[in-house]
Amino acid sequence: MSLPLLVIALLNGLVTGVIYALIGVGLSVVLGLLNIPNFAHGVLYALGAYFLYAASQGPLGFWAGLPVALVGVALVGAAIEYLGVRRLYRVHPDYVLLLTFGLALVLTEVIIIVWGPVGITYRPPALLAGTVDLGITLYPKYRFAVMVVTGLLVLGCWLFVEKTKYGAIIRAGIEDKEMASALGINIGRVFTLSFAAGAGLAGLGGALMVPIHGLLPSMGIEILPFAFVVVVLGGLGSLPGAILAGLLVGVVQSLMTVLWAPAANASVFAMMALMLLVRPQGLLGHR
Amino acid sequence: MTGPALRLLRPGLLVLGLVLLPLLLRPIVAAEVLIFAVAAMALNLLLGYTGMLSFGQATFFGMGAYAGGLVIRHWEASLWVSLLAGVVVGVGTAAVIGYLCIQRLGIYFIMLTFGFNQMFYFIAYKWTDVTGGEDGLPGIPRPPVTLGPLHLRLDSSEEYYVFVAVAFVLLFYAMKWIVESPLGLVCQSIRENPNRAAAVGYNVTLYKWIAFTVAGAFTGLAGVLYAMLFGIVPLDAISFITSGNIVFMALIGGIGNVYGPLLGAVALIWLSETVSVFWHRWPLILGLALIAVVLFLRGGLAEAFERVRTAVAAARLGRQAGAGKEAA
Amino acid sequence: MRRLTRRDFVKTGVAGAAGTGLALGAPALLRAQAKEVVMLGIWPFTGPFADIGPVLDRGMQLAIEEWGGKVQGRPIKYITRDGETKASTSTRRVEEAIDSDSVKYVIGPWSSGVALAVTEVAKRRKVLHYFSGGTEELAGKRCHRYGFQWAASPYTAMHIVMDKFMERHPKAKRWYLFVVDYAFGWSVEKYIKIAGQRHGVEFVGTDRIALGHREFSGFVAKAAAARPDVLCLLNFGQDTVLSIREAHNFGLAPKVPIVHGWGSGVEDFLQLDARTRDNLWVGTNGYYTANTPVAKKFAETYQNKFKVPPGYAPTAAYGMTRLVLRAMDRAKSVEVPDVIKALEGWETEDWPGKVKILAETHQTVRDYFFLRCKRPDEMKQPHDFAEVIASGSTPLMPAEFNECKDIGAL
Repeated sequence: MSLPLLVIALLNGLVTGVIYALIGVGLSVVLGLLNIPNFAHGVLYALGAYFLYAASQGPLGFWAGLPVALVGVALVGAAIEYLGVRRLYRVHPDYVLLLTFGLALVLTEVIIIVWGPVGITYRPPALLAGTVDLGITLYPKYRFAVMVVTGLLVLGCWLFVEKTKYGAIIRAGIEDKEMASALGINIGRVFTLSFAAGAGLAGLGGALMVPIHGLLPSMGIEILPFAFVVVVLGGLGSLPGAILAGLLVGVVQSLMTVLWAPAANASVFAMMALMLLVRPQGLLGHR
Repeated sequence: MTGPALRLLRPGLLVLGLVLLPLLLRPIVAAEVLIFAVAAMALNLLLGYTGMLSFGQATFFGMGAYAGGLVIRHWEASLWVSLLAGVVVGVGTAAVIGYLCIQRLGIYFIMLTFGFNQMFYFIAYKWTDVTGGEDGLPGIPRPPVTLGPLHLRLDSSEEYYVFVAVAFVLLFYAMKWIVESPLGLVCQSIRENPNRAAAVGYNVTLYKWIAFTVAGAFTGLAGVLYAMLFGIVPLDAISFITSGNIVFMALIGGIGNVYGPLLGAVALIWLSETVSVFWHRWPLILGLALIAVVLFLRGGLAEAFERVRTAVAAARLGRQAGAGKEAA
Repeated sequence: MRRLTRRDFVKTGVAGAAGTGLALGAPALLRAQAKEVVMLGIWPFTGPFADIGPVLDRGMQLAIEEWGGKVQGRPIKYITRDGETKASTSTRRVEEAIDSDSVKYVIGPWSSGVALAVTEVAKRRKVLHYFSGGTEELAGKRCHRYGFQWAASPYTAMHIVMDKFMERHPKAKRWYLFVVDYAFGWSVEKYIKIAGQRHGVEFVGTDRIALGHREFSGFVAKAAAARPDVLCLLNFGQDTVLSIREAHNFGLAPKVPIVHGWGSGVEDFLQLDARTRDNLWVGTNGYYTANTPVAKKFAETYQNKFKVPPGYAPTAAYGMTRLVLRAMDRAKSVEVPDVIKALEGWETEDWPGKVKILAETHQTVRDYFFLRCKRPDEMKQPHDFAEVIASGSTPLMPAEFNECKDIGAL
């Protein structure tokens, strides 16, 4: 395998990897805090993509779409937590899981009703069209930009959670919610805000991927299994874990595509199964 | 109604339902309902009676289907051998996967079943020589029923439906017997409080594993019946969407209730077939139904019927009491 | 008063639901009327080919409209079902439609893999099944008396693509293939490789990519690293559009020509722009500038009604429906066995020009088209995407490749 091919495969892997990390961060926090796998996380990613598409029809184009995706999907997430998840949390975690599954179905159908069942292709904004010369090889400018920007975003999330007071509250909630509540923290508000933030990040991820993959109603269902692999590998509730695992999954998937394409997807799930059996707390999780 | 007649009421109603089903839904779709009802019964054993949410039952359904389909296609196996192949493969796969998954609890267990499902799916997708990949495994005829002097062909939809209905009744009562047996009671105690069950002396892990394997047997058998239904094993027989559908059916019908899976299967497939003809967006209704069940009606359709009947009976009691007061 | 348990309620509930459903379903029992000719279009309205379902529907409707909605004095009842491009859903819905609506003629689906499943149902239920697709198996290994193939044989099609392209690019010996990973892709891959042998073509790489896959960057990078003279796409629809765009994104195209072996033509071109159509060569079963009376009239009718020219998909739906209706007229009967006999061995003029339906395999011998995409300065109007640089119905598939040994009885 030649060096340019390896470089491109690695870069592709990092691009998908940072997006996986972005999605994984949101999912991991929700899992850690609420102890439920959010099956609607995939459709929130898709919703972000479609919000971007809708907003970009307006005068500001693509650039308007990004904040709309982030905020819009965050609001949807807050609504889901407040109206649905919260009521079921006390009953049994299984029911929350099923609620999110039902929501995934409903929201996917809503997307199809509003925007149609057909895939939509989308060009990158003019500013980021074309290729950048990396010396060894050419690489699409937009992908490169996504990698850099999302990487910074993910780093920002990590810093927020590790270094700020609010981040400490979240980490406390993940470690021991009863104690955190006993210490006077409004744990309900933390839940809602975290769910909303996680949703918003997923939506933003979907929006950023639009010029790369286009839009398709099933894009949420497609990415969900990989989001789960990321949080399991990283460790439920561990943000640094989700980031590391996201990059790992992205790179492995991309490298396998060029090395032995047929096994690219199966190997990702094999990694997950192996991790669950050998070290269920994941790479950086605690428990 | 006296005792003996009462005992005939329930099986009688079940038989009546099975007779009416193909008129309501067309024989071929009714057969599909019963096949998925069997898979949902197996999940019900896990979720409703043992408290394990397996999100990967399609693994055993698909493996059973491929096994049955392959032995029919390549070895022209008889009906009994094909069914046995499905059961054996279902049991074998469940035994191995169950052993691995049961080591973990809660969400880890769910994710493990899901992860293994995905693995098997991608392997089935790529191993096209054996499974046909995306296109599925085609050309599976229905071997005739041979039992001593009896030789019944199953080529028409009606004939196949009768066969599947008979199989369903047998499997239904088998499952009923299991959940009412000591094994079933231990499983229920595990669902209620695993620590207490362990403290009393039951090997919780062993019982869970047994339940998982038994569920695998039922699901694998359902898979073979599915392979013979349309003469093809499609790839989505082993996909996590099918796993999800099986969970829905059990949930919507009412988990922890032996009749729930049948109700759920009827509801889900009726919805997807009848509604889909005039509205492509029927999964919306399914999703809303699921949300409604989860939020308001956790016992599913079974609970809904009970509530209605209780309300009616209460109203009648109220009237009787009123009439009694007047007479006195 | 005896104690009623929850179980009883549930049982009553099942019976009650069944009874209600029977009442609701009763109209279905009455729906099937003996006089009508019922034709089913099993089209994809959701799933990977969701954009193609609606245009297929248009094509079939136009054919039925041309007959005034009647054939041989009987009204034509046209129904559609969403096959979802899934074998399970499609077979179930076809079988169900045969039961509930007495369907006798099935046209579709779009995916070759699903077609192979649907054709089993047609064979078992003895209804006529017409399909247009790239799998050789429908007229080959899985042939049967009730199944017909409208598209050109992939053997013929791939030879035309290869021969005509190499005529203009004799030095382009290194080909890299993207193959969609199911029956359609496998057939066209097999025959492009056989066709390439004649020209000394070296296939420097082949990647089999799942239908509906959207991340082509890795595959494009692999292809670029192999330094090909040609990137040959043996996929369809959205997969093709995304592959082409990604090839341009990474700078592989338009330097390296892209040959799309079996394409939609118009439906794809509408999704590409002038930049991504540069140096693109397309083989197709149906391009609207085909120079036959039927094609010209269809193109005009379609464009007047829908404002865009028809691509391969609506043309196929139209062509198949036309042939079936014409066969009914020819046989003076709407019974399936009579129509089959009228189709077998028939040589006639239809949409592709001269058409012959082989009796032994039910394969249609007809023209396949090879197109060169036009540069913007060459385009005379906004939809003038390509010119037909070649068309032909030969070479015919030789006997040694024919796996249809016995097409069977009625």
